[in-house]
Amino acid sequence: MTEPAYPVPPDAQGFARRARGEARADFARVGARTEPARVFETGGLRLRFPRTAAGCEAVLINTGGGMVGGDHANAAIELGAGAQVLFTTQSAEKIYRSDGETSEVDARATLGAGARLEWLPQETILFEGARFRRRLTVDLAADASLLLVEAVIFGRIAMGERSIDASLRDSWRIRRGGRLVFAEELRLDHASAILDRPAVGRGARAIASILIAAPDAQAQLDKIRAVLDDSGQRGDERLDAGASAFNGLTLARLASPSPDRLRAVVVAVMMALRGRAAPRVWS
Amino acid sequence: MSRPRQFMGTITVTTIMTMARMITITVITAMRITGTATTRASAPSRMCMARTVATIIIMTTTILTATLTRLMDAPSLKPESLEPENFAELPLLLWLSPAFPVGSFAYSHGLEWAVEAGDIVDAATLQIWLVDLLNFGAPRSDAVLFACAFRAGRSSDWAALAEINELAVALAGSAERRLETCAQGGAFVSAMRAAWTCAALEHLPASGDPIAYPVAVGTAAAGHGLSLDLSLQAFTLSLFSNFVSAAVRLGAIGQTDGQKTLAGILPDVRRLARETSSAGLDDLGGCAFRSDIAAMRHETQYSRLFRS
Repeated sequence: MTEPAYPVPPDAQGFARRARGEARADFARVGARTEPARVFETGGLRLRFPRTAAGCEAVLINTGGGMVGGDHANAAIELGAGAQVLFTTQSAEKIYRSDGETSEVDARATLGAGARLEWLPQETILFEGARFRRRLTVDLAADASLLLVEAVIFGRIAMGERSIDASLRDSWRIRRGGRLVFAEELRLDHASAILDRPAVGRGARAIASILIAAPDAQAQLDKIRAVLDDSGQRGDERLDAGASAFNGLTLARLASPSPDRLRAVVVAVMMALRGRAAPRVWS
Repeated sequence: MSRPRQFMGTITVTTIMTMARMITITVITAMRITGTATTRASAPSRMCMARTVATIIIMTTTILTATLTRLMDAPSLKPESLEPENFAELPLLLWLSPAFPVGSFAYSHGLEWAVEAGDIVDAATLQIWLVDLLNFGAPRSDAVLFACAFRAGRSSDWAALAEINELAVALAGSAERRLETCAQGGAFVSAMRAAWTCAALEHLPASGDPIAYPVAVGTAAAGHGLSLDLSLQAFTLSLFSNFVSAAVRLGAIGQTDGQKTLAGILPDVRRLARETSSAGLDDLGGCAFRSDIAAMRHETQYSRLFRS
């Protein structure tokens, strides 16, 4: 296999970087507002809290501009009772070619009573040869609300890169009141070869999951289905999508050969669910 | 290999029969003694007699229990061959049969949508879809969960078994997937508790609480002392046999093509069982996105034969 030409950010030259980044933030409800109470950042990770009319927004920034094999990023946020936070990322996270070691992300969110978290990071883009391992753990109080969107793009499609060999392993554990209510174990090796299989992706290069865990989760199902049914009728590129409500959750899954089309539909779903536009970084 | 095992088996059978005869004689003798004693003897000697009878009964029970325990643990009786008298896995043919009251015929695992959407149109496309499920889909995770539950049951690690079941239920990623695994799991455990009970089954959640199907069957197989490899192969094959049966009833393929498809994927089923029999929870994982989406789309499919 020939070495693909891919851009490596200046500080990612060489494979011995082994960045360890960590970002932690606690949020508290203060009157009608939510404010960051304690913030801790180290390595290449930064948190910014842009002033918006809509409420408390936390934007995670990876100053390294991406991850190489051996890099480890750790993000943890904690919402006190009644806190409402929108968490997102400044840009899509790029996972570069690995020389053997895995790029790892550990994300954790804890939601107190009545807290509301919108976890809407931008897409993760796997480059040729990437090895990516992610763990996501969310602990919800019984009446807390979570909207979670995660999307992964396989290869730089805009540059005509349709065939990549990358691996992804993603484990989710969502607990409500201490009980496990949802788990996801995603394992995909040899990305594009497997994504071309009919029951896997039939040529998909972008996938997304949208999860709602909230007391009114079941009621969101029709809104999501309306967007998915509508979007299924338009566009030149295929998009497979479905949604289901179960066990106090609503889950939607999307897969498409076109990352742009996937993003457009994810943004439409976000708008329908939130009753307002997607976070500025998404548009 | 087969000779010594047969020999051991014969010895064991003889031992059991001798013991049964001994116990019968002991009990009859004890009853006679007590009968005579209660009518004729004086109060102190009645007490003495009663004590002797009690001692005899306790000793017999102890010997019987010890022997039975040894028999159940005896590796010589855990069959690795398919000799008729050693085929301990025989009940699997009943437990995994479409006639076993778990209602497996009602579930298509999203195949009904895949047929509707044109992903499955003939035997060839069905086989490709099934091999994808086997390599990347829920059946692979089910095989891993089966093996984990089996080992937890075999080693009486009930905390681990509860954790495996909780995870197995949480991994069901849509309403119908959850129904498919929990309805069959719950029905399997109810039927087993009624007719084929074993201690391990009592450590699964009470009826009404969610029990995942692979965890239920894996626990029962361990509780009945069956072989992990054989029961895992049988379990996995039964999943695919049910999928093919659904495809036949959907009219996607004919009966003969159904059998050809099963014959075609049998080596893959064996490979899956082999790969997953020593797997742990960390080996879970799949990526059959379109199969998972098919399970979701099936919920709103206009005309349906199946519950999933």
